[in-house]
Amino acid sequence: MIPITRKEREWFLDTIALGLVEYMGIAEPPVPVEELLNHPPELYQDDFGVVDMRSNLWDATFARPLTQRGNIFVRLDLEPNERRYALAREMLSALLTSRHGRAMGLADVFLPELRDSADYFARAILMPSNFVHNRNGSDQKPEAIADDFQVTPSMACERCEDLHRHLS
Amino acid sequence: MSMKALNHLVARSIVDPSVVISFNDGRISDVLSECEFAPEMRANLAQLEASSFAEYAMYAYRIVKAAEEAEVSIKMPSPLEGLLPRDSRADQEQVA
Repeated sequence: MIPITRKEREWFLDTIALGLVEYMGIAEPPVPVEELLNHPPELYQDDFGVVDMRSNLWDATFARPLTQRGNIFVRLDLEPNERRYALAREMLSALLTSRHGRAMGLADVFLPELRDSADYFARAILMPSNFVHNRNGSDQKPEAIADDFQVTPSMACERCEDLHRHLS
Repeated sequence: MSMKALNHLVARSIVDPSVVISFNDGRISDVLSECEFAPEMRANLAQLEASSFAEYAMYAYRIVKAAEEAEVSIKMPSPLEGLLPRDSRADQEQVA
């Protein structure tokens, strides 16, 4: 795989996140990430699923037992916005290891910086760039943005920084 | 326009297996013909070789980005001409 820059990697993540959001026909926030995981495109029927679990070790993790459906195992006691973020973040691993993701060669692009890529992907799918730009006339306080997108205020700030960085 | 077309193509590829199948079969030009690329850009993208669709998308991004940046620099006014339109420049018509 060719070496790629952070900007190129983030463009790719933004674009595939938009592809999934558009596929679901979502026109405004919040993006129903858990619904996407529970009712995925046919292509990912064997790759997306959510299993609640009691754990103090992690917020969520993706696992694919051999010959079984891949699932995101998520802590039962997370706050709703934290849960959405954790599920969105782990969705990238589900995509990478899916049959279609492997056919696309996604792992070559994202595995070297998986944690960073997964965090970026979570922000990109929960706060798609066009949705953020469309609310330019609205209240720009982090709490207001976070409320619209049902994310934490710190994530809303990070996403705005992502998009601002891309303009420069 | 080309970046918009490329975004559409890559966004489609994550949910439409026909894009990746066409690429793997060496028929990416079939898919490109459905996208709104300028003819010259479409021809350039059809000739790209890559080991995977993801790598192809990265090469395509670089080409489209470079073309867009070149277009912007062509549209920038020359510093020799200044920023005002020729008609409104003070040296065209001297008062008195």
